[in-house]
Amino acid sequence: MNPILSAHGITKRFPGVVALRDVSFDLRPGEIHALCGENGAGKSTLIKLLSGIYPHGSYDGELKIDERPVQFASIADAGRAGLSVIYQELALVDGMTVAENIFLGDEPSKSGKKGWLGSLIDWPRIYREAREVIDRFNVKIDPAAQCTQLGVGQKQLVEIIKALRKNSRILILDEPTAALAEHEVQVLLAILRDLRQRGIACIYISHKLEEVFAIADRITVLRDGSSVVTLDTASTNKAEVIRHMVGREITDLFPRRSSGRQSEKMALQVENLHVTDARTGKAALHDISFSLRRGEVLGIGGLMGAGRTELLMHLFGAWGKRSAGKVTLNGCELPFLPPAEVIHRGLALVSEDRRRYGLILKESIGFNLSLSSLGSIAGFIDSNREFKTNTRVFDSLRIKAPNLEAAVGKLSGGNQQKVVLGKALLSEPQVIFLDEPTRGIDVGAKLEIYELINRLTDDGKAVVLVSSELPELIGMSDRILMLREGRIGGVFNRAEATQERLMTAALSAAP
Amino acid sequence: MTSKLSLRDFALVLALLAICAFFTLKVPDLGFVSARNLSLLMIDFAITATLAVGMLLVLLPGHIDLSAGSGVGLIGGISAVLVARHGWPVPAAMACGVAVALLLWCAMGNLIVRQRIPAFIITLGGMLVFKGLFWLVIQNRTVPIVIGGQSNLYSLLTTYYLPPMAGYTLAAALTATMTVSRLRANAQCRLHALPGDDSELSFMKLFMAAQLLFLFVIVTNQFRGIPLPAMILGSIAFCVYLLTRHTPFGRYLYAIGGNEEAAIISGIPVRKVTIGAFTMMGVIVAITGLMQTAYSGASTTTIGDLMELDAVAACVIGGVSLKGGRGSVLGVLFGALIMACLLNGMTLLAVEPEKKFIARGLVLILAVWMDQRSQRSAE
Repeated sequence: MNPILSAHGITKRFPGVVALRDVSFDLRPGEIHALCGENGAGKSTLIKLLSGIYPHGSYDGELKIDERPVQFASIADAGRAGLSVIYQELALVDGMTVAENIFLGDEPSKSGKKGWLGSLIDWPRIYREAREVIDRFNVKIDPAAQCTQLGVGQKQLVEIIKALRKNSRILILDEPTAALAEHEVQVLLAILRDLRQRGIACIYISHKLEEVFAIADRITVLRDGSSVVTLDTASTNKAEVIRHMVGREITDLFPRRSSGRQSEKMALQVENLHVTDARTGKAALHDISFSLRRGEVLGIGGLMGAGRTELLMHLFGAWGKRSAGKVTLNGCELPFLPPAEVIHRGLALVSEDRRRYGLILKESIGFNLSLSSLGSIAGFIDSNREFKTNTRVFDSLRIKAPNLEAAVGKLSGGNQQKVVLGKALLSEPQVIFLDEPTRGIDVGAKLEIYELINRLTDDGKAVVLVSSELPELIGMSDRILMLREGRIGGVFNRAEATQERLMTAALSAAP
Repeated sequence: MTSKLSLRDFALVLALLAICAFFTLKVPDLGFVSARNLSLLMIDFAITATLAVGMLLVLLPGHIDLSAGSGVGLIGGISAVLVARHGWPVPAAMACGVAVALLLWCAMGNLIVRQRIPAFIITLGGMLVFKGLFWLVIQNRTVPIVIGGQSNLYSLLTTYYLPPMAGYTLAAALTATMTVSRLRANAQCRLHALPGDDSELSFMKLFMAAQLLFLFVIVTNQFRGIPLPAMILGSIAFCVYLLTRHTPFGRYLYAIGGNEEAAIISGIPVRKVTIGAFTMMGVIVAITGLMQTAYSGASTTTIGDLMELDAVAACVIGGVSLKGGRGSVLGVLFGALIMACLLNGMTLLAVEPEKKFIARGLVLILAVWMDQRSQRSAE
């Protein structure tokens, strides 16, 4: 079959680095083609180049669509050629309805004329057509719903629908499931299979190999800016893909070793906690009780919206109102206090959304690292000491950057996550909350974070690990707590935890 | 945090030089660069810049203070009325003015962070309320700040000049301090094997700074000496510089302006810091108010008009982001100098007030436009 899209000998240079080196890639009609590689391997650069963000002339090599050379000067050019990108960061306007978003920038007018001057928007038609296009995908979304009311998964679907309405023939999905819970992932994958039936070709970028193997027809692995290999999914396996990605064999993906130093001392104890959402006044968490010993990793799982992040953020003093319950941290009662106080008492949080809650993106690595540990606001900064501690963390976490002065916004996801972790560790916590610490980061950096968790528990610290990836949860936790709609759905020891059991606890009533 | 000279800084220096060159040539008899005018310019600059340095403190965490101009009038008025009508001792009257400002701005800061009302609205309200209070306090009349033509501490604020010898001594002392701190900083850089300035470059920088300092003293000594407002500005600017660069408080200002949610999660006491910034702004408004009123010789209804906008303009020209998280004291001083030179030069050329307004507005727009362009090209 002739490829619908192909790239030959693509080389893209940035000042000082070669981001892509002689990359070739082809996409067949009606194919789902996964693009795998560690962060910094060049996936994003390739996507930006295919979609016209890096215009023709800013790179060497040739792009062809339907065997004809194309020269995209802008995203609009790529769009006209039938190519759409669904980004990791959602591009919907929150204050608008679903239908308004689907038609954004392409509103039909009553007079039938194009252009925004001299004609009024045909609202009934927008809602009618939005309904039709949504129904085509068998999803339950109200076209009149405000986008703010939708979950992340539904938003993702709206974006895909928006792209397909424009008759896109090539869909590029950049980490589409990063923010989705398991069942939402399944819905998305079903839709992609449906699209494949209709002859729409997909480029699918994901760090989650389970998904890639579940859906992709072929897999292309990028490493250090070069296309290493293209494999047929049917004739390969995860180990081979990972080997190509990292250039070495990884035998143990989850190197959790029980510290053996688990003491009987409680680090954190939560008893009958009830929390309401401070904005809506609705009860959000019901009767949560659990305990965490020193040197232990407690995994918390559950579907999106089950209350995992809310639970962490509440204990950290950043979310909700406590209506009942008692929390004990290191033997002292912990009332609901602002984060500054909670950090002071020995608890640290690494948020799931590092760009929003974790980093001051325009500032340097050093600025961000020391932010939680500068001491009293009335004092002066001992810049000498600050520099020494920052350097120590910078080196021990192996943050890949020229030096401490580099802007954090320019780092890759894995390195940004290391900065957030470093900042949390510098506040010298006894208990550390990690909310999706490996989301959107590459295999190498994931391993380093798992190793770090092991080191922390060796030092007698306690870790709460929230994750949507069940293998990670099972692999890295000593005990696992599943949440379901704000309640505890089940607690499992490491030995008895299987993906099926955890999923059951997340979906149905507790036994 | 090292600062590199960017194209933007360079453009700023060029703009300043161009403005000065223009007025030097245009104003008859070299009036613009006469010792007398430079001394007056220095006082104008000191007053504008003091307020602008305060404005930096509220712009950094992403807020704004539109009430500063009205506040300048109000505080100057309160102190004037206490002196002229109630016969208070001058220091007490001035202290009372500062205390009032401190309370008012602390209250505004509280409203902003606790009731979550945007600073734009709170200070817009403050601007009107303070203006009204000001006119009530002075009863729409002109209130002198001295009794019987004597000079007092209040009027001395803008009429005292440091004697020439003292000026030179001060400059020498400052140069020595700069040298010592520069040497220590360089030693630290070497200790950490950081790419600091080499000794030639740091000598050049020091030498330039010292030259400018002495040039400044020589020029002001041609008239009467260093004006007191310049020294007040110097100390306030130095304090704010220390605050922004070397204290956790200052770090937090940048962090809040850069990403408030991340700042909260990082354990920064966002409320305290924001209220603190507004309270300091209050004190600086009070000091500016006293200087501005003293400069006019009396409290009149128009004192402080539009000063908040000049302060914001100086900040923006100096590279402060209105979204927060970016800006430095040095940049603000530069911005204020450009504004002061423009206004002073136009006054010397007897430009009509209406045209002055237009020019001020255009300069502000131009500065923001340049800033946007340079940021885009940097990406």
